[in-house]
Amino acid sequence: MDRKQPNDSTMFKAVKKALTTFSLFLFPFSFLVAQEDADFMRSMGKMYVVVAVIAAIFIGIVIFLVYLDRKLTKLENQINNHQNG
Amino acid sequence: MKKHWWKVLGVLLVLYSFAMGLLTPLKTGILDAQPASVRAGKSVTLLVTGYNSFYTKNPKEIRAWLKMDNERAMAAKNVEVVGDRDLKAIFDLPQFLPVDKKVQDFTLILDSPTDGASVLPSGVFVTQDSIDKTAGEALWQNANISGLHEKAAITFPFRNILGETIRNTYYHVPLWFAMFILFIAATVTSIKYLRKMDPNDDAKAAALTTVGILYGVLGLVTGAIWAKNTWGAYWSFDVKQNMTAVGLLIYCAYFVLRASFEDPEKRARISAVYNIFAFSTLIPLLYVIPKLTDSLHPGAGGNIAFGSQDLDNTMRMVFYPAIIGWTLMGVWMAHLVFRAGRLKRLLLEG
Amino acid sequence: MEIKHLLHKEFTLEWRQKYAISGILLYVLSTVFIVYISFQTVSPQLWNVLFWIIMLFASINAVVKSFVQESGQRQLYYYQLANPVAILLSKMIYNTSLLLLLSVLTFVALGFMAGNPVEQAGRFALALLLGSVGFSITFTFVSAIAAKADNSSTLMAILSFPVVIPILLLLVNLSAHSIGLLQGTMINRDIMMLAAVDLILVALGLVLFPYLWRD
Repeated sequence: MDRKQPNDSTMFKAVKKALTTFSLFLFPFSFLVAQEDADFMRSMGKMYVVVAVIAAIFIGIVIFLVYLDRKLTKLENQINNHQNG
Repeated sequence: MKKHWWKVLGVLLVLYSFAMGLLTPLKTGILDAQPASVRAGKSVTLLVTGYNSFYTKNPKEIRAWLKMDNERAMAAKNVEVVGDRDLKAIFDLPQFLPVDKKVQDFTLILDSPTDGASVLPSGVFVTQDSIDKTAGEALWQNANISGLHEKAAITFPFRNILGETIRNTYYHVPLWFAMFILFIAATVTSIKYLRKMDPNDDAKAAALTTVGILYGVLGLVTGAIWAKNTWGAYWSFDVKQNMTAVGLLIYCAYFVLRASFEDPEKRARISAVYNIFAFSTLIPLLYVIPKLTDSLHPGAGGNIAFGSQDLDNTMRMVFYPAIIGWTLMGVWMAHLVFRAGRLKRLLLEG
Repeated sequence: MEIKHLLHKEFTLEWRQKYAISGILLYVLSTVFIVYISFQTVSPQLWNVLFWIIMLFASINAVVKSFVQESGQRQLYYYQLANPVAILLSKMIYNTSLLLLLSVLTFVALGFMAGNPVEQAGRFALALLLGSVGFSITFTFVSAIAAKADNSSTLMAILSFPVVIPILLLLVNLSAHSIGLLQGTMINRDIMMLAAVDLILVALGLVLFPYLWRD
């Protein structure tokens, strides 16, 4: 039985990553809405709900950009190591 | 530049939808009419509060009705304008109503040349002491609702619970559609992978799924914010919410499955098979089950879709470009993820 | 013909390894007993949900072994002997009959302990049949996928639960109808939907399986 051991660690990492990403998404929205006064959100014909929704989309896209940035940084480091070594 | 036209188009369409969503005014509406509950046989003065209204512009020509059903309505005896957002409508209610019920709800309709027609559904409840349908029919003075004005400008429909949040139709709903289009595209590339066994197709499918999950999460979050402030709770166990959560679970499982293979060829093949299988369970999930059970979402379970009130198609003029724009932006983002992944693969191989 | 032989093999194997099936039967009985002692009285609504939850977990445990517990070498040997599609089909049929048996047992046990709220027996039997078919198709196929990975039993749960939720929701609806908790004319559409989903999944399974078993 020289088969490779189950790669629990990779899978665990993937699950952990998925969970952190998910909580990252949930954080700004609970911050935005739960902290605000409900009456404030409902003032001016509930216009601030629209603002919160746009802010949530913006934050989501920024988080995506950060994720991509980190991925590319890792890649750049690998390429540098490759050239040096 | 020629190669990048679709990215520009996507950004422009999304920008257009954002601008239109914020700049378009709401149609004139009625926020409230007091008293909401009146007795038959009396002359009542309804204090009407308008929204986005300009009652002082043409005060003489404002008309008001209480509509009972599609055939029957009564006209206001007099309409007195108090301010731009306030007016008094005086109705003489007959002693008996031509119905078999003690309590009958009426829809208040206002019409003005500047603002167009505005409606408060079931705004006034009339209680009668005793029921006499024949006497009610004899007393009833029917008024035809005709000659309603249309507001000339491009507007959003006014719905009472929604208020300004109807603008979210341009921000929340296109995300769902774009998510679904991305998932379909991912499934199609998975099928393509199984036919041609090109590793690029597998990487494309994974990248499209990543962006699809991003859109799905954004859709859930924006939907939750919207729901909290209109329906009253972040999570109302609405079928569409639950179903999308399930869809996201499926695609998170897809990434867990991918992570558990070392061999790229095996990973690509098996995750493609799972992607196709899982997507086919998503079809009844997103489109058929919501129609079977009551849903809070418009267009399902007896709720009116926005489209049916949007007679002049102004919403569609922005809504469809928004879907296309978000999809193009999603494909762009997926393309970036795909290119990063391809670089990594080239690096590992070379 | 091939399928008949393969089915025969499945049943013989099951009969030889009695501990597997008896373990699942014991699992059902003890779950029902735990439900009984923790709830004492079970309302029809709760009964409906509990029944399908017990069924869900019992079926996952029953089906997981169909691919996951067979070693890779043995599977490869089978694929050389027989048509892989026939193997998948025979496993699906076998698992369906196993799940039917399980569902009847769960029903009897739960009915014995917590009462039987079912009003329309025919419709409930239909729900059991469609449920067994749907569960067996999805779980068998997902088990074939999970068997390819190293830590398959964990993966089996992660992969199969989201996939089976739509079927489960339709089933809970259908059996709620038969218990009299729900009224409405949509029920025929529910049944059609379930049958259609079962058909689509079995067709997809047969089309996709050849891509799966080759290594």
